[in-house]
Amino acid sequence: MFRMASQPRHNWQQLAAEYGFHFHTMYGEPYWDESAYYQFTLQQIEQDIEDPTAELHQMCLHVVDKVVNSEALLTQCQIPQAHWDFIASSWREKQPSLYSRLDLVYNGQSPAKLLENNADTPTSLYETGFWQWLWLENLVNAGKIARHADQFNSLQEKLVYRFEQLRRQYNYQRIHFSCCEDSVEDRGTVQYLQDCASAAGIDAPFLFVEEIGLSDTGYFTDLDDNAITHCFKLYPWEFMLREEFGDALEAADVGWLEPPWKSVLSNKALLPLLWQAFPNHPNLLPAFFEQDKHRTTGGKWIKKPLFSREGANISLLNDDDSPTTLSDGPYGEEGFILQQYHPLPRYGDQYVLIGSWLVDDLPAGISIREDRSLITQDLSRYLPHIIL
Amino acid sequence: MSHSQKRSKSIHLHQLRKAFALKPLAVGVAGIMLTACGGSREQSNIYVSPEDCQQDNPEATGQCLAAYESALEEHNRTAPKFDTQNDCEYEFGNDRCQYLQTSSGSFFMPFMAGYMVSQLLQPRPYYSQPLYTSFSPYSPFRSRWVTSNGYVFDGDIRKRSYSAPSSVFEKKPTVNRTIKRGGFGSSVRAKSSWGSSSSKSKGWGG
Repeated sequence: MFRMASQPRHNWQQLAAEYGFHFHTMYGEPYWDESAYYQFTLQQIEQDIEDPTAELHQMCLHVVDKVVNSEALLTQCQIPQAHWDFIASSWREKQPSLYSRLDLVYNGQSPAKLLENNADTPTSLYETGFWQWLWLENLVNAGKIARHADQFNSLQEKLVYRFEQLRRQYNYQRIHFSCCEDSVEDRGTVQYLQDCASAAGIDAPFLFVEEIGLSDTGYFTDLDDNAITHCFKLYPWEFMLREEFGDALEAADVGWLEPPWKSVLSNKALLPLLWQAFPNHPNLLPAFFEQDKHRTTGGKWIKKPLFSREGANISLLNDDDSPTTLSDGPYGEEGFILQQYHPLPRYGDQYVLIGSWLVDDLPAGISIREDRSLITQDLSRYLPHIIL
Repeated sequence: MSHSQKRSKSIHLHQLRKAFALKPLAVGVAGIMLTACGGSREQSNIYVSPEDCQQDNPEATGQCLAAYESALEEHNRTAPKFDTQNDCEYEFGNDRCQYLQTSSGSFFMPFMAGYMVSQLLQPRPYYSQPLYTSFSPYSPFRSRWVTSNGYVFDGDIRKRSYSAPSSVFEKKPTVNRTIKRGGFGSSVRAKSSWGSSSSKSKGWGG
């Protein structure tokens, strides 16, 4: 695993405009960064990332199965009691999922460690599935990168295939796609998924989450008062369950992507529960609920809220147990977990985090984000990668 | 692990190009043309009346009538509904709409123009579904058969026999009107109102 400096394509911004990649620069800071790329060997990709990703995902599903069958665990995960049946039945009915992203710490040598599972609302999908694919295609064609170079990135192919499955096997003929107003990045991610669904023959209209209506008969509706029967939402379950329409979820009978059972996986309670179920697994970091703090043995620990986004509300507990706040935020009212501190590998003055994608349960590629600070925050940059 | 290519083999660039893409004239109607669909299919026929059906199936007069009645019942439940006669006629044509009074209010909806049946002569239960068509010059449904789900059949109204995917026969959830919007999304406003210099408000993907 190397970081290689690289000459940006002279016309990349023009290409971005043509393809509708509007969030390559956010808040005045570069987000897409092709002044360098990361290079992996095939063995690193297959043995250290792809196989562990598939295994970690199966381990996560094992935890879901335990949680939905235990009132104690549902309570510990802070899932509102009113929705236990809704979530458990979505699991028992095997409601299909679309995708997820595991965040891994990996330095090219030691086993990759799972930091978090973004199972409900993962982003950086378009940059991964399409934009970095196009980057490699362009650089190979320009003779800048060897023709036999490859990339771990079958994301788009697998997404289209998955949508075809959803249409044929699960009868997803029309899916309403939805995200919040006022986020160019989320809208871009959802547009990409609409494109993939359309390529699979699915009718893929869009509306904002705030525009979803509730009919007199208890169904959710779009702006034309059509019933929403299937819906992709880039909006977290932990919010939806607690909002006004949360009480209508059960009767509205929608096929959701992601399905309700993903609320167990996007919850950081997953991390201690994984460690309980698979102690000392090479791809896991020790993790505990905050109330089991006495079981942490020395060293540094990261304290994270059960629900949080963008790396908010994280603090570092030092050897002497004194806390250092690493990021502020509005989260934490539902409780915290502790995860053993495992620094991100450093290349030059950059810390690197690997996002490893799954479509349903198949590993489908990676995305790489760099940051000058130790926690990958919102303004970290996205870099492409190759296999050589 | 296979050692074949690890990246998508080909991506149709034109599908992802946005700058010169034409917007569809009517989203939601551009919808699903039945010929484009996979899944299991049912050989289906369209009739405009029980008599029309009986002529085609002289040995099944009872089934023809029952299928008509069940389509009519489904029609009352799921026909596209409008608040005003004008809106309805804009979509379906002059004098093509009926007034309906229900417990949840009054509406205008198109007349059932025909019904589609499949497996009429099978021992299995047959399926029946109301169909509509439009006489309005403004409507993409003009001279086409369309279901209450908004599925538009390819070919014009004279075509009476289709191999239709089974999804056409699925019952559509009843919606008369939307009583409220904005019941999702409030957490965004709550969490975004929190201000900090270290992070900036963005979406809720992770």
